[in-house]
Amino acid sequence: MDWFSYLTSGIGVYLGLGVFTAGMAWRVWQWVRTPKSPVRLGMFPKPRTAAGRFGKLLKDTFVAPQSFETAAMLMAFALAFHLAALAAFVGHLRLIHEFTPLVAVLGIEGMNTFAAWSGGAAGIVMLLAVLYWIGRRTFGAYRKLSTPEDYLLLALLLGIVVMGDHLRFLGGLHAATYQAWFASLMAFRPSFPPELASSATRFALDWHMLFVDAFLVYFPFSKLTHAVGAFATNLVRSSE
Amino acid sequence: MDKQTIETMVGVLDARMNRQLKEYLDICVRCAICKDACHQYVATQDMKYLPARRAELLREIYRKYFTKTGQFLPDLYEAREPDENMLDELYESTYACTGCRRCTFYCPFSIDTAWITSISKAILIAAGRGNEMLGQLADAEIFKGDNAEMFHDSTIDGFKDIETQVREMTGNPNAEIPVDRQGADILYVALAGAHSILPAAVIFNEAGASWTLSFFESANYGFFFGDPAKAKLIADRFMNEAKRLGVKEVVITECGHAYRVAEMFYEAWAKEKMPFRVRHILEVIDEYIKEGRITVDAAAIAERVTYHDPCQIGRNGGIFEQPRDIVRSIAPDFVDMTPNRDKQWCCGGGGGIVAMEEFNDVRLKSGGKKVEQIRATGASVLACPCENCRLQINELNEVHDLGLRIVPVMELVVEAMPLLGTRSVTQ
Repeated sequence: MDWFSYLTSGIGVYLGLGVFTAGMAWRVWQWVRTPKSPVRLGMFPKPRTAAGRFGKLLKDTFVAPQSFETAAMLMAFALAFHLAALAAFVGHLRLIHEFTPLVAVLGIEGMNTFAAWSGGAAGIVMLLAVLYWIGRRTFGAYRKLSTPEDYLLLALLLGIVVMGDHLRFLGGLHAATYQAWFASLMAFRPSFPPELASSATRFALDWHMLFVDAFLVYFPFSKLTHAVGAFATNLVRSSE
Repeated sequence: MDKQTIETMVGVLDARMNRQLKEYLDICVRCAICKDACHQYVATQDMKYLPARRAELLREIYRKYFTKTGQFLPDLYEAREPDENMLDELYESTYACTGCRRCTFYCPFSIDTAWITSISKAILIAAGRGNEMLGQLADAEIFKGDNAEMFHDSTIDGFKDIETQVREMTGNPNAEIPVDRQGADILYVALAGAHSILPAAVIFNEAGASWTLSFFESANYGFFFGDPAKAKLIADRFMNEAKRLGVKEVVITECGHAYRVAEMFYEAWAKEKMPFRVRHILEVIDEYIKEGRITVDAAAIAERVTYHDPCQIGRNGGIFEQPRDIVRSIAPDFVDMTPNRDKQWCCGGGGGIVAMEEFNDVRLKSGGKKVEQIRATGASVLACPCENCRLQINELNEVHDLGLRIVPVMELVVEAMPLLGTRSVTQ
């Protein structure tokens, strides 16, 4: 690994995951240690039972039907982005361990084809969503609401997605190659397998990882903490 | 702005900080979905009325003094030291907010912007920028509580006059407006003025209820002003009266914020569980009709009637069906507005805005959605159980020539009661 690869696809990954994990734990602790609101903040109507409230919490957080009613286009992009990001995340788990049952059914070639289609679709959806958000934030009537933080996050997402799509569509390498690199990361001896080290694709991977590392480091100190906080605030909506 | 003022403001924010506020301040993604939920932003397209922007002003102060990231990278996070310009914008966006929480309803994270603006009001007060009118009205209410004996005789005389009218209406020479009655089941807390006492007194008398009228009114300008200490002192007046009389329930008149203060906020402010329950008068009247304790003529109101859900009673108070059941039981031609219940548009008159002349322009503009909604029903009568909503819609009625009769629900009920007396409720 050269120094740039070592920084982005080696120790940067540890740094990103470490700061993300500790940062999110710290963030949640900051919330938990602050006393709850003494006054009742719930809204009506709300379910009468705890199970009903939990169900509403899940619906409000994962589907947000009210938001869809008033901003269908934005919410469609948001839902598509989050689902695609989830799909991409699940797909990346293949780098840790091959999805053996799927390979047994599809065969390794079939699995690679399936990954190419599903990963490709997720990558395109995420790219379109990020471009839509950038456009909306830059040209919308309420653009003055946006802060530099909003653009920084969109820039990081754009970097991750563009370089990820580059790897998916132009990289020409399949999971097995990346698995070797991932195995080295998990053994705390980061290195690239020869096929990756000698490939031009390495450059795209390093930049993909640079954006990912920065994104992970920045996550706990940004509005992205809504990933956890939204559960708490949506629960308050249905609280007593 | 001098250092001491800033320190005072930051101290207030620190004192009011709680888990929910911190989460609301941390997680907003500024998606601006709330823009289409706010009647003021929809009417004006003015950024300062966009709910997320109202909250963003407080966030800028929060980031500056409560987050390491804001201190380290103020430009990235837009962390700002408050200055006069910021306070000007904060004042306008905060005191204009009617606290309807329609933005909270539509927010994917349910961020309670009205709760955030209530903290902004506390900061403005700390900086000497609280709304003067609301502050004076709050102080006047507290003064009345502290000097009740000064107002005693004139208030009782007023109650006696209304009692005479109740007797004329019911034809019952023993009908009464009890005050200070120990052991009554209900303490009814009205507003200043006969209109909120007379219909309720007729209904309580006809139902044979064990009740007593509070010496104090339920309106709470301390709540609108943004000072929970003052708001508590104002509510203390009738809450202490209820404790002293040993009532089973406090019944709040047709007033939105007073109901929410009594039902949702007071116990938290007082830090004690009250030995009585709180109900809205329409919950009680609905019960009386369903139990047959009062008689109403099912076809009494021949005109088409619609109903406005006041935000503090509906979305924020949970009373949706009882008023509709009441109106349907006396008006065969009832038509709901669209949208309604939890999605109801704020009329634009909440949060004390009707008492602040400086906001008249935005207030009247922001009633546009309500005007559209009312027109679409084709109704000629609007039943509305909130004083501030009625004040606002009365003005919209005049400005837009809606030809609408706007009445409290309980007044419609009394119109529908076959009373033996000669006098009508509207006389």
